[in-house]
Amino acid sequence: MLDTLFHLFRTGRVTQRPLFPDLPEYSRGLPDLTDAACNDCGACASVCPTRAVSVAGGGVTLDLGRCLACGECVSNCPTLTIVANRSTRVAVRAREDLILHSPRRPASTVSPPSSSLFRRSFHIREVSTGDNASDLEVAASNNPIFDVSRFGVHFVASPRHADALLVTGPVGLAMQEPLRRCLLAVPSPRLVIAAGASAISGVPFNGGYASADGVDATLAAMPVEDGGSPPSADVYIPGHPPHPWYLIHGILLAMGHPAAHETRAEGARSR
Amino acid sequence: MMLSQGQSAEQMVSFDTFQASVASVPNEASHRLVLLTARQIGPEFALLAVLGRLEDAAREAAPGTACRSQSGVEVLQTVLESSSFPSFTPSVPQAHWFERAIFDFFRLAPEGHPRFKSLILHEPWSADMFPLRDPGGEKICGFDAATSPTRHRSYEFLRVRGAGVYEIPVGPIHAGIIEPGHFRFSCLGEIIENLEIRLGYQHRGLERRVTEVPWQHVRFVAENASSDTTVANAIAHAHAVEQLCGIEVSPAARALRVVACELERLACHIGDLGGICSDIGFLGGATTFGRLRGTVLGMAERLGGSRFLTNYVRPGGVRSLPSEEMRHELATALRELRRELSWALPGLLENQGALDRMEGVGTVRADFARDFGLVGPAGRASAGLVDAPVASSSAGKSHGEGGAALHRDAVGRGGAPPYDVRAAFGRDDYPDLRVAARTTGDVCARVAVRAAEVQCSLDLVAARLDVREGPACVALPEYLPAHRIGIGLVEAWRGELLHLIVTGASGEIVRYAVKDPSFNNWTGLAIAARGELVFDFPLCNKSFGLSYSGNDL
Repeated sequence: MLDTLFHLFRTGRVTQRPLFPDLPEYSRGLPDLTDAACNDCGACASVCPTRAVSVAGGGVTLDLGRCLACGECVSNCPTLTIVANRSTRVAVRAREDLILHSPRRPASTVSPPSSSLFRRSFHIREVSTGDNASDLEVAASNNPIFDVSRFGVHFVASPRHADALLVTGPVGLAMQEPLRRCLLAVPSPRLVIAAGASAISGVPFNGGYASADGVDATLAAMPVEDGGSPPSADVYIPGHPPHPWYLIHGILLAMGHPAAHETRAEGARSR
Repeated sequence: MMLSQGQSAEQMVSFDTFQASVASVPNEASHRLVLLTARQIGPEFALLAVLGRLEDAAREAAPGTACRSQSGVEVLQTVLESSSFPSFTPSVPQAHWFERAIFDFFRLAPEGHPRFKSLILHEPWSADMFPLRDPGGEKICGFDAATSPTRHRSYEFLRVRGAGVYEIPVGPIHAGIIEPGHFRFSCLGEIIENLEIRLGYQHRGLERRVTEVPWQHVRFVAENASSDTTVANAIAHAHAVEQLCGIEVSPAARALRVVACELERLACHIGDLGGICSDIGFLGGATTFGRLRGTVLGMAERLGGSRFLTNYVRPGGVRSLPSEEMRHELATALRELRRELSWALPGLLENQGALDRMEGVGTVRADFARDFGLVGPAGRASAGLVDAPVASSSAGKSHGEGGAALHRDAVGRGGAPPYDVRAAFGRDDYPDLRVAARTTGDVCARVAVRAAEVQCSLDLVAARLDVREGPACVALPEYLPAHRIGIGLVEAWRGELLHLIVTGASGEIVRYAVKDPSFNNWTGLAIAARGELVFDFPLCNKSFGLSYSGNDL
């Protein structure tokens, strides 16, 4: 026991201090679009397993909400229109903000700043529905390296104690009713965070007989009552599975924490 | 030797032969029912069984041969004459969940199954839907669920009766950051009299989805069968495709697949050891193992660009070969990890406070483990009397428990020898494997087996970082061969994982079956919980560390 204590003390602090560091250059990150002219070769669309990329008339459209982060489009793009983005500030508050265009279009809407209600204390109930790697990354965001609790974030056992649900996985038919009931058990005001490409769009299972089409498809079927059950998620975190820093960014975004609201950094981009 | 282009998918045996082969499984300790499922062939249905004969594999797989050995694995098919078949479960308990799944997906009824009810598909699905029957039009005309002799879609838990017996329903959504499933505890006071586990909440329709996408994209779906086991699923898929096509991958790719698979095993075992520490209130261990798991994920990211090594292993080889600099960095990180584990593992396994919480808790007797065909660390922790050469490298070293257990009469009796796919069917890739086994079958045994596997995986990775011969990936044909069966059998970190592909007339995938190790082991958890205290259940559960989504697919 003394030996263990000795080693624990000698290890010292391991928590990453700089917030939202770029991923290392050997990491695949998420794909991103540049303004480099596309030659319409269509290689990206043909290798994409989830139809997240489409090409038409010199323009490319990329939906990060359907992206499994396999990196195939990046390594097959001859014109450097699609590159890897290693920024960890990737969460957004509107689904359409995950859809990227090349050539770039001006941002259509600016989301209003979220309320500061949860800025210093945020209690989350995690609901897993079929992507256990994402669950492991959620658990990792709680470990000594990423330490999300330094921002006042706690994962709680009951939806009654929660301010938000964080949903991972594509939400198949048998989890839809449990998810709705769990959400209704969260006292208002409440938020929903869709974590990972599976939770956002159900990839790679969407469109099947199991109706595993993501969080929004399930919320859309909820009865709208006074005070409003949310018709869609409040924050979307892309990635498959989302890196712990992606998750922390999404959580801080939901809280309205200032650290998440600095202008979206470009991050290191390359092949 | 490797089966050239898999086995013919059209080869059928008579039902009597099929029945005799399956029924022989309980007679030999080294025989396994790896998979029992069905498939549709035009208007007819066939039962399909994959049998493992470990002693054949041991005899024929001479270490060092170039081809991947699949001898000892037999695929049998028989055409059914009606929509029911006599249940194998009364004589072969390993079949009990397989047969319930067959009904859920095909509406083929196992007559005489002792506890027949739905397994995967829940009430929200319409009662006349059998998703793997007649793809494209899943509704069966003329089938009336209300008058059906079976109780499909309605689910009744086993009732334990008696004065003072009460039930604790838990789930589907659990208190921690963990997957959903329902546990129904029937208790007398604080003692669990019976635990029934109902899963299926995460069913995503995987086995049908993989027949709907181009086969080159199937690997992205296959990896997600249980996404915390990405690498092993990708390797099993790749082996199945390579067996279909008769392709041999390069030595470098084979070595890197082992590196990837063992990194995944390291990350998951270390992470779950941390989970055990939190469940017994040893927070220093929990934070340390959580941190060291991060080190392994960092190595995985260095190797394949993704912490979970998604899209790294693919049919034909691996995504890329590491540079010299990368190999050097991996070796350095591995040495550092080994140094830290040299104090962290004894910190748990030689900690009397921790041992007190783990010893004698959640015991699975060796004969039960064999009857229900438990696999992976859970199976090897309840092994039959262990042969000295197999177990000497690991048993009893850390704290004397295993060595003493070998001589205790009641322990390990009626069990099977320790089963590890890497040793039984993969000796060519794993000549230097040391199989860890215990006979006591409690939480402590499962933890000790996993700790021993951590040590072994460190050595397996270190020995393969210098293999450089051959390309990363070899070319694959555009179409898969017609009417063939390919199988991939892998020791994932939870145990035996099977991917099976059957192709049709134009090489399209007509049936794709995945058998996750958890499918065997959930029954082990139900057995382990029996007679335990309610508050020891989380510890039992974590010591198995099972996948819910891999079971539900």
